[in-house]
Amino acid sequence: MTTAAVTPTRAHTPVKPFYFNTSAHLLRITRQKATNLAEFLDCLRECPEGSIFQHTFRTLQEHHFIREGFSNDFAQWALTACNEPGLAENLASVDAREFTSVSDLRDRFIQIVTDFLARTPVAANRPARETFYFCASDIIVIPTKFVARTLREFAEGLRGVSVHSIQHHFIEARLRLKLMSNDFSQWLHEDLGLTDAARQLNRIDIYTVTLEDVKNQITRIVERALI
Amino acid sequence: MRTSMEPVETQSRAETSTQEFSGGTTSSAAPTAPRVERRRKPRSWETPPAPVPPPRLDDYRKIIGDAEIDELRFLARELKGKTVKMVNSTAVGGGVAEMLNQMVPLLNEVEVNTHWDVITGGNDFFEVTKAFHNALQGSEFKLTQHAQDIFLMNNEKNRQRIQFTEDFIVIHDPQPAPLIMGRSQSDQRWIWRCHIDLSNPNSEVWGFLRPMVEKYDAAIFSSQSFARQLPIPQYLFYPCIDPLSEKNKEVDESFIQQVCDEFGIDRSRPIVTQVSRFDRAKDPVGVIQAFKQARKYVDCQLVMAGGGATDDPEGAAVLKEVREAAGDDRDIIILDLPPWCALEINALQRASTIVVQKSVKEGFGLTVTEALWKGKPTIAGAVGGIPNQIIHKLTGTLVHSVDGCAYQMRYLLTHPEFAKQLGENGREHVKENFLMTTNVRRWLLLLRILHSSK
Repeated sequence: MTTAAVTPTRAHTPVKPFYFNTSAHLLRITRQKATNLAEFLDCLRECPEGSIFQHTFRTLQEHHFIREGFSNDFAQWALTACNEPGLAENLASVDAREFTSVSDLRDRFIQIVTDFLARTPVAANRPARETFYFCASDIIVIPTKFVARTLREFAEGLRGVSVHSIQHHFIEARLRLKLMSNDFSQWLHEDLGLTDAARQLNRIDIYTVTLEDVKNQITRIVERALI
Repeated sequence: MRTSMEPVETQSRAETSTQEFSGGTTSSAAPTAPRVERRRKPRSWETPPAPVPPPRLDDYRKIIGDAEIDELRFLARELKGKTVKMVNSTAVGGGVAEMLNQMVPLLNEVEVNTHWDVITGGNDFFEVTKAFHNALQGSEFKLTQHAQDIFLMNNEKNRQRIQFTEDFIVIHDPQPAPLIMGRSQSDQRWIWRCHIDLSNPNSEVWGFLRPMVEKYDAAIFSSQSFARQLPIPQYLFYPCIDPLSEKNKEVDESFIQQVCDEFGIDRSRPIVTQVSRFDRAKDPVGVIQAFKQARKYVDCQLVMAGGGATDDPEGAAVLKEVREAAGDDRDIIILDLPPWCALEINALQRASTIVVQKSVKEGFGLTVTEALWKGKPTIAGAVGGIPNQIIHKLTGTLVHSVDGCAYQMRYLLTHPEFAKQLGENGREHVKENFLMTTNVRRWLLLLRILHSSK
């Protein structure tokens, strides 16, 4: 249903090929840990940016098969270890894709917890059922064998790569690009002129489906653009 | 359908009473022994099966997919020709040796030349290391100068015996930790892989070991909670299962049926199973109590499959308690199996409607991983490494009491769609995080990260 605002010729001769990469992450245990919400707030302020990234963007990948009820580790801990469903809902509602910097994302979480503790000071020092251990990721980017020089090859690449590659290009890319977009949409828009398809990709809700579903949705949008 | 065994006489439910089987040649003093004798023992009970060769990386392709295998090979490319030495304290028995038996060939296959050495020592050394092991996991211990001398002297002998010329030296667990003291090449990278729970160590023993651990370039722990505050990077490597092992590989439906027939398990009714040693930490009596509560509301059978009662006095005592708790309940099937019955355990897990691991103290809980991998809705105690595997109501259910366990049994048995979804999520969670291939990836990543930090 895509209506590309470009000529077919341009759509099949991109300026540069799309190289499908993926990233591998190794989990590092940091020094921060929280046994209650007051400590949690301190840790949110002090932890390395890699920890914020790990417990939001990365955890999406680690639990990519879950359709509902899991959006980030902070919300999950607030619910199951602190028994604070209201706080958990606020934390879970943070869409990591709305942030192009981890620093801004950190500030959003700090704000939510600060506001909650201001409203509910008694919760600050109530012991959590489980300790929250802040972790971080060491990352290595890995090329895959898929390179797209045409839209058809792009669709083939999408079908062939793992969900880790989808996470790398579609979800984590905004931190690299510093744009409210992703590698796929950027390439479709800038190199193929498929602006409508690029926009459709950006509307996919990653929080209500699995990453495999996300991959299938992206593939379908690209396949429709082929017609 | 049975393939290799003679048909067994099937007992009707009305005829059965609490059913008990004892592995090996030891016969149990089961009050219902005459009924047990009506069934054949699977041949595998009597002799351990021949060891199987370790799998190759491509054998995992069907399980994790082409893209994942390609990623592993790419990660290894930059390490081609690099050398690794793994050192631990035993060549056979125990989870570390089992893991190294599988991991070392896979690393060699991707041309990361990996060698495995085992330290040696006298009885006095291993008595000290066992005491250290227990103390580091929280037991009381008085650290004497004599114990320190034995520990250091034996490690020094091993240091002189073993060559440490590789690019990466990986020391497993506290026993060989002092080998780092002989480190000479500055561009070598030394890694301490700690498989035990250091969350509440004996302060004297940890105080003695800590200066050695701090000399390493990195440490690896099996859980966030096991780590200590150290000045070196600490990484998280979850324990893992091998999906191609006897315990976890796919098995024929006919074999599953055969095993159930052998053990008198009625597959037309729901089956609740706990697989674990007869150990109070696994709360087997609590499982029976929960089962009895749940069965008031839903028809089901309970299979308690374990081992360790034959050669462990405490295990035998726990088994006795389990039998007493079961009484003459005809729906409770107690199996005391020898350690080589991996394939039978596999079949029992696959035959189960739900799996329980109601531990009250646990390491990582690999029986939970095994159950999740088989797509089984799993109920488990929220202890040790289990919450890393079970996200409550998403990949399984966590419980904290007998009552909670009973409720979850009832709920999952009466909500099969929800149970099915938990099972599917649980399998994906294991595929992503707790398979042997995930750990190959972690090792390759760590070696690359440390290599690039030279």
